[in-house]
Amino acid sequence: MLCDWFERKIEARIQNRVGPKFTGPSGILQPLADFVKLLAKEDIVPVDTKQLIFNVAPVTAFTIILFAFCFLPIDGSTVIPGASFQGDLIFVMALITVANFLLFLSGWASVNPYSMLGAARVLTQFLGYDLPLLFLALCPAFLTGSLSLTEIVAHQTIPFVVLIPWAFVLFIITMQAELEKDPFDVPHAESEIVAGYETEYSGRKLAFLKLARDTQIVFGAALVTVLFLGGSSGPVFFGANAVWGTLWFLLKLIVVIAISEYITCLFARLRIDQVVSTNWRWILPLSLLSLASTMALAFWVYPAVM
Amino acid sequence: MSSDQELIPMLQAKLGGSIIVQADKLGKISLHVEADAHLDVLRLMKAADEKTAVSAITSVDLGDKLGVLYHMRTSHGIITVKTELSKENAEIASITNILPGASFHEREVFDLLGVSFRGHPNLKRLVLPETWPEGVYPLRKDVNAASVQQVSPSEWSQTGNEEDGNLVKVVIGPQHPALLEPEKFTLKVEGETVCDVEPRIGYVHRGIEKAAEGRTYLQDVYLVERICGICNSCHAVCFCEAVEKILNLEVPPRAKYIRTILLELNRLHSHMLLLGHAGLEIGYETLFQYMWRDRETVMDLTEMLTGNRVIASAIAVGGVRRDIRESDVLTIKKSMVGLRAKMEFYKQLYHDDPTLKMRTQHVGTLSRKDALDLCVVGPVARGSDVDIDVRKDEPYEAYGEIPFKLITYTSGDSWARLMVRLDEINESIGIIEYALDNLPVGAYRVRAPRIVPSGEAVNRVEAPRGELFYYVKSNGTAYPERVKVRTPTFANIPAFVKTAVGENVADVPANFVSLDPCFSCTDR
Amino acid sequence: MISKAFAHLFKKADTEKYPLAPRVPAEGFRGKQVFDINLCISCGLCSRDCPAKAIEMVEVAGKRHPMFYLDRCIFCYQCAESCPRKAISSTAIYELATTSKASLVLKPTSELKEARETSATQQPKPGA
Repeated sequence: MLCDWFERKIEARIQNRVGPKFTGPSGILQPLADFVKLLAKEDIVPVDTKQLIFNVAPVTAFTIILFAFCFLPIDGSTVIPGASFQGDLIFVMALITVANFLLFLSGWASVNPYSMLGAARVLTQFLGYDLPLLFLALCPAFLTGSLSLTEIVAHQTIPFVVLIPWAFVLFIITMQAELEKDPFDVPHAESEIVAGYETEYSGRKLAFLKLARDTQIVFGAALVTVLFLGGSSGPVFFGANAVWGTLWFLLKLIVVIAISEYITCLFARLRIDQVVSTNWRWILPLSLLSLASTMALAFWVYPAVM
Repeated sequence: MSSDQELIPMLQAKLGGSIIVQADKLGKISLHVEADAHLDVLRLMKAADEKTAVSAITSVDLGDKLGVLYHMRTSHGIITVKTELSKENAEIASITNILPGASFHEREVFDLLGVSFRGHPNLKRLVLPETWPEGVYPLRKDVNAASVQQVSPSEWSQTGNEEDGNLVKVVIGPQHPALLEPEKFTLKVEGETVCDVEPRIGYVHRGIEKAAEGRTYLQDVYLVERICGICNSCHAVCFCEAVEKILNLEVPPRAKYIRTILLELNRLHSHMLLLGHAGLEIGYETLFQYMWRDRETVMDLTEMLTGNRVIASAIAVGGVRRDIRESDVLTIKKSMVGLRAKMEFYKQLYHDDPTLKMRTQHVGTLSRKDALDLCVVGPVARGSDVDIDVRKDEPYEAYGEIPFKLITYTSGDSWARLMVRLDEINESIGIIEYALDNLPVGAYRVRAPRIVPSGEAVNRVEAPRGELFYYVKSNGTAYPERVKVRTPTFANIPAFVKTAVGENVADVPANFVSLDPCFSCTDR
Repeated sequence: MISKAFAHLFKKADTEKYPLAPRVPAEGFRGKQVFDINLCISCGLCSRDCPAKAIEMVEVAGKRHPMFYLDRCIFCYQCAESCPRKAISSTAIYELATTSKASLVLKPTSELKEARETSATQQPKPGA
């Protein structure tokens, strides 16, 4: 929620506005206020929806993403100590895919033409962009020779953004598409299909859908931080290692979110067919190329990094 | 009027005695024909000049008869073709096979006055709600609109997730984030391609034309001003000019220049609003916020000149209600310089930004032939290489003395229409600066009589969205007999129907916003 | 656009700080009416010419004076123009929103006093 506030402030400033202001100092409580308000609103479930999926999808999506968070090394080791294992990078990516699929299901379960269109677009978009995302996520894995997130962080004596900057740039762009932000926010294009898959939701379920989306954004940024920016590594000035690690992690997270929001503000929204063609024509080949070049680079870099 | 002087003799030669040519005291030509003979006249006019289009179709309750007036726009002005029908047998041939753009006009006359058009492809209710009883025509003199009882319709149209074979019905509106004002567009979509669009307008119909008959001319200026918030001065000027034509009243030169300045401020406001809104429709919120921030300058100027940020209420029959002070002139000039600098940035953005171009170029293309057949007006026409602009074709107020360029683009897509408006902003800034530099001294208003002698007049101005057309008929009292308003968006909606078919459903908002819809104007 | 968007991150917001700071409209703003009963000659032209039929002539101390219904008024000031004695003029008061319809009726008795009082205390409270 803090990140949501930060995002909205940055977007507002870029647009020469003020952004959230009145709730709490500098409007910092605004996302919380929105969440609480939604929790208190009436929960209307249209008669025709597929009841089970409609009711279950939002909370499940949120839970899965939160679960994925457990594997991220925030302060040197994971949130639940000892939970990391070899291959948890792939596991985490799979979890994101499942969460996205649940979002699609939530749109499909509400029997409303706007939601159907939105759900179809979500599916097209994230399925397409999952591939380049995976390839690009494998780049740091190749550099360290391991598929464990904790190890990837541990081996970043030089942050990978310096070593493989092209992968970093492509990863940020692909992440924009995964997170459904401008220029790829076609699944919930407000001016066309009202709210996409969120259209029929209200009250508590909408609160959780929105929370799931916000968490997804933070998770995406955290993934970028872990893979490319060295996670929680940074100079320790005094006191406990763990505290400083967390602090550096948060700082880098906020920088990534700022960059992501800046890109969001810069562009218009692409049509779904333009999104798809951008993926297959540009992003996928470029990500394959970057993977190949990273593998080549790894031969030189690997001994130095280990 | 040179080509009209050739046109009339040519028509007389070909059609002989079936047309009667009348010129009123201002030299305006109107042709009286028998019902159904109008088809030949219009066919010949269209053949003689490709830019002939139907500007409006007015119907007047003449007591024992119904008059149907076809106001035809040629390259040089309006020629009115008049017919008369009996009330019991109010039927006339439709002109949609000559000019498809007349479809909406004929439907409206059918709806409000009960004239049925033979051969019209889709003669259904247009502006009245479904709960209005059949057979009651509000604009007829014997109907008191306030006492009509609403009925429950025999069947409500179902809007839901109906499947029509492979076609899904996506309903945009009446409430929809893409629309500024309520109207319903039912799209039949196959996959992501639009197969058909069915517009249903009339959600903002307030019966302004009927209301205008019950108020004095003085009060009507304020009424017509509120037909549309954004082009309010244009409505006021158009109405006042029409009344001044009937009165044969000459407005002082200073008033003409002040009116021009107010009209151009309106145009600035409207175009900036639209360019920002276009950004919003295609998801470019930053552009939207920047453009509307700069629009504030124009609204502050309007507030300084007229006392209100949007609705000016500064025009009256005989001139303007307030004068411009010297200090105002300096403030306006300073703002114009700042605005011009800001427009540079937007022009570059529209030319260079990749995502913007991806969303608006080759979207909603309207060919020149379609633009002429559908009788479109304004930037929609000028974006398709049809160079019509009332300020150049039939100069009014001070436009005859002020130099400016007529902007046209040839590609006919949404991008072209938006660029036309962007360039017109720069031209408007130039017009305002010229008008301020050459402001004549003298009176800014003359007293107009409250009772207007019998007569009629047509008048058009170039509103930001296109040609705005008024027909005013007076009967020697302080109340008008008939006020007919034909707004530009009303003429442009059939063009949207044409351009949306065959395109991606995701392009519908971008396409739609480029025709600058103003539904308050459309419905009146 | 790229550089402009970045530059705006560090600029002040363009939004006006209303209602924390008062917003004074331009001179000549058409706000709430103020009516001078001493100048009125009871001709009734204001009521006749009002486009919104928002003025009703009522009896006050034996003479007829206009009563303004501000919830119908469109603030066009045709009444001020029609008045031969210039008894109606505008103020810059635009904060007319209220929860009681009765307060939107300007009776012709204590108008001048009421208008002076309201404009003197025209400082809105923050968060209102």
